[in-house]
Amino acid sequence: MPAPLTAAPRRRFPSGIRLVDYTLTGWTALVMGFLYLPIIVLVAYSFNRSRLNIVLESFTFAWYQRVWENGPLLRAAQNSLLIATVSTVLSVLLGTGGAWLLHRYRYRGARSLQTLVAVPMVMPEILMGISLLILFATAGMGLGFTAVIIGHVTFSFPFVLVAVQARLKGLDPAMEEAALDLGATPLQAFMLVIVPCLRPAIVAGALMAFTLSWDELIVTFFTTNAASATLPIRVFGMAKVGLNPMLNALSAIFIVATAAFVLFSNYLKKLSR
Amino acid sequence: MKTPRLILPALLALVMSVVPARAGGELNLFGWSEYIPQTVIDGFTKETGVKVNFETYASNEELLSKLVAGGGSYDLVQPSDYAAEVMIRQKLLSALDPKLIPNLQNLAPDFRHRAHDPEGAYTVPYMSGTVGIVVNTDKVKTPVKGYHDVFTPAFKDRIVVLNDTRELVTWALYTLNLPINSITPEALAKARPVVAEWVKLVKVFDSDSPKTALLNGDVDVGIVWSGEAALLWKENKKFVYVIPAEGAHQFIDVLAIPANAKNKEAAHQFINYILRPEVSVLISEAFPYTNPNLAARKLLSAEQLANPASYPPGTPKLETFRDIGKAAADVDRLVTDLKSAR
Amino acid sequence: MSPAPVIPTDSRTPHWRAWLLLAPMVAWLVLFVVVPTAILLVYSFCERDEVGRVLFSFTLENYRRVADPVYLRIFLRSIGYAGLTTIICIVVGYPVAYCIGRAREDWRQRLLLLVMVPFWTSFLIRTYAWITILKQEGLLNGFVQQLSPTAKPFDLLYTPTAVVIGLVYAYLPFMILPIYGSVEKLDGALIEAAHDLGAGPLRVFSSVIIPLTMPGIAAGTLLVFVPAVGMFAITDLMGGARVPLIGNVIQNQFLQARDWPFGAALGAVFMGLFALTYWIMLKLGAHSEDSVA
Repeated sequence: MPAPLTAAPRRRFPSGIRLVDYTLTGWTALVMGFLYLPIIVLVAYSFNRSRLNIVLESFTFAWYQRVWENGPLLRAAQNSLLIATVSTVLSVLLGTGGAWLLHRYRYRGARSLQTLVAVPMVMPEILMGISLLILFATAGMGLGFTAVIIGHVTFSFPFVLVAVQARLKGLDPAMEEAALDLGATPLQAFMLVIVPCLRPAIVAGALMAFTLSWDELIVTFFTTNAASATLPIRVFGMAKVGLNPMLNALSAIFIVATAAFVLFSNYLKKLSR
Repeated sequence: MKTPRLILPALLALVMSVVPARAGGELNLFGWSEYIPQTVIDGFTKETGVKVNFETYASNEELLSKLVAGGGSYDLVQPSDYAAEVMIRQKLLSALDPKLIPNLQNLAPDFRHRAHDPEGAYTVPYMSGTVGIVVNTDKVKTPVKGYHDVFTPAFKDRIVVLNDTRELVTWALYTLNLPINSITPEALAKARPVVAEWVKLVKVFDSDSPKTALLNGDVDVGIVWSGEAALLWKENKKFVYVIPAEGAHQFIDVLAIPANAKNKEAAHQFINYILRPEVSVLISEAFPYTNPNLAARKLLSAEQLANPASYPPGTPKLETFRDIGKAAADVDRLVTDLKSAR
Repeated sequence: MSPAPVIPTDSRTPHWRAWLLLAPMVAWLVLFVVVPTAILLVYSFCERDEVGRVLFSFTLENYRRVADPVYLRIFLRSIGYAGLTTIICIVVGYPVAYCIGRAREDWRQRLLLLVMVPFWTSFLIRTYAWITILKQEGLLNGFVQQLSPTAKPFDLLYTPTAVVIGLVYAYLPFMILPIYGSVEKLDGALIEAAHDLGAGPLRVFSSVIIPLTMPGIAAGTLLVFVPAVGMFAITDLMGGARVPLIGNVIQNQFLQARDWPFGAALGAVFMGLFALTYWIMLKLGAHSEDSVA
């Protein structure tokens, strides 16, 4: 039996707690299984010879080769990566800063501002897409990367803000006090004391922002031009003639790349230690 | 000093490879995704040096929304007939110069002068198709000839139809023998009970990929785009396409030049290029719709021509959609109401 | 419960510099949320022309149409789906977030990433993979047949159950991540103290852990419920678009009926109701916090 992942300081715990730990670990594994179930299926089909994702036939690498040869698809993946990265960075800056300021100071109209932050989350994508398109057209701003990124930041930074705010609730104000007393400037206190404390929430927020941006279709459609078309736009287009396993192959490549990145970054960290 | 000497030719080659692409300028093409093969676009660029910026959409409404809101500027668009009609009326399209498109002669005359553009002054047909019935003949042994045969209790929860409010109402109007392009409140009142019965029988509404449910075996009959049906037939001959006896919607997707296009010359060049038989046949191979290009049809294989979804036999009753204006809202309200009542 | 603020309240009153710091966010919200919303609001009082463009003439017709009971019913159904999704996400996601939050430090971020990675494949491809699993001749029914050949196959795909599976799948990480942020902060000493005082695991959970991680649960509820109400793609793909939700109806006004003003009116009412509810909840929340302090 594997050791439970939960390994918080434990000294003289009754056996009931150990049971709880094992149950928790088992449940987590089960939920992970649920999350990865369709991923396993789609990776399996990426090696399938049939053009349609219906029956498993024989094994082939052909779809991987097709991905490699499909210039527009690769360019779209590249665009998506760029757009998602930039909007994640901007969302984290806006969201973390906003959450901290709203927590730290009692602004007049803070409640209305808070409500305003939540509006992009509820705003149907089609409304955001069309209204931003009208705005950009009226302002004479061309469509393309900048417009897409503006749209993406608008719907993803609230997610960062809400996640960070949850972490800030109940934060001991003495922490910042102490830093200020020790001669730190407010900025130093924020960067050196508060941000490290908020790190888990910032990471969580960044992951959400990246994911939202990476897979967004409708706001992107209304703000993009030919050069900045993203992966979802191409994928939805391809659905019309049938999603072929090429897209599964692309997903598989992406998952492997992510896994490699995670392992590699850990390895780098170990080296630097 | 060896390296620079090597770099220079390399740089030159690079510049050379870029320069001809610039020579003919750029063409901003706004078209359906997966409707113009990449090989065709590449071939055009290679021949003319015009760089094509290909931006895509997935429905006429997406095209119209983005076009009327402004923002992008396009040299060539690819609307369906009824959307083109609206665009002509709203003066959003620029008239074509037939002198620049000698290959127009390759087209079947009956595709050139349709109600959406009677003079053929603004649009050039690209591909055409119909909306009809697909039957999985392994599962369905009774003959299916029209809408009445599809919407029967025997097929309850075995039907896929397009997720499109206007289509659904159109089929009901056909069964009632009412005109499909002048939708009055009285006609809608008559169609209402028919559609109400139908939505109860349908398992899946899907406009994007109705073939999926058929291929998966989750349904046995469907009312789908002919292009979908052609792909199904290509996959397995058990999927038979039938044009409904009561009448069917025919669509003609066209090429047109927006009024504010910057590079109209390249747009004409592109249209003329597409109309070449040897280019047009490439499109037919990739997307098995009905090709209005008669010269290209001669180059098709016997099997391609035998696909009943691409080239339906006989002379079925086919009509294109006209813009129904404000009635579209009533149609939407009707179907939303009926679907919601289930 | 929470320690009284040590910093005197006057240092919490913003200086002009604090406003300056907040300015980028306020500017962003005004430019890209308030202005577009205002544009939509104007549209919602207009009429449409045949392209679907708006004609600037004042009318209340669109709002009269919104009041139709059909749309109210659809709205309530959307809230029902979103509410059910949120509850399932809390029940399923909380233990996972807790487990990750209490994991060894070097494992935490990797596990967090592991939760998110499935969502880096396109929504459409993931959904089609689900269809492969749930369809009648799919993997799930194949598996069931293996276990007991006589069992009746499940008819899951294109049913409300499939929609809920799809919704829970899509929104689960948005519940797990914020709760993780709260769990990670939990002070082990507090839990230990409760144990030492003789509280059983259940008691510790309900009276120590849950209240301390409440901010995370609240944040997760916001991040799941709110987007889920307006969602449209999952009902289309996994529900067979048989039952319209408010997101589908709004979407259709733009991409089928070409009726922008009515779509804008529906959206305005939808967003207005949400903003009002949220604002009142914030106000009530602030009151209860004040009474605790």
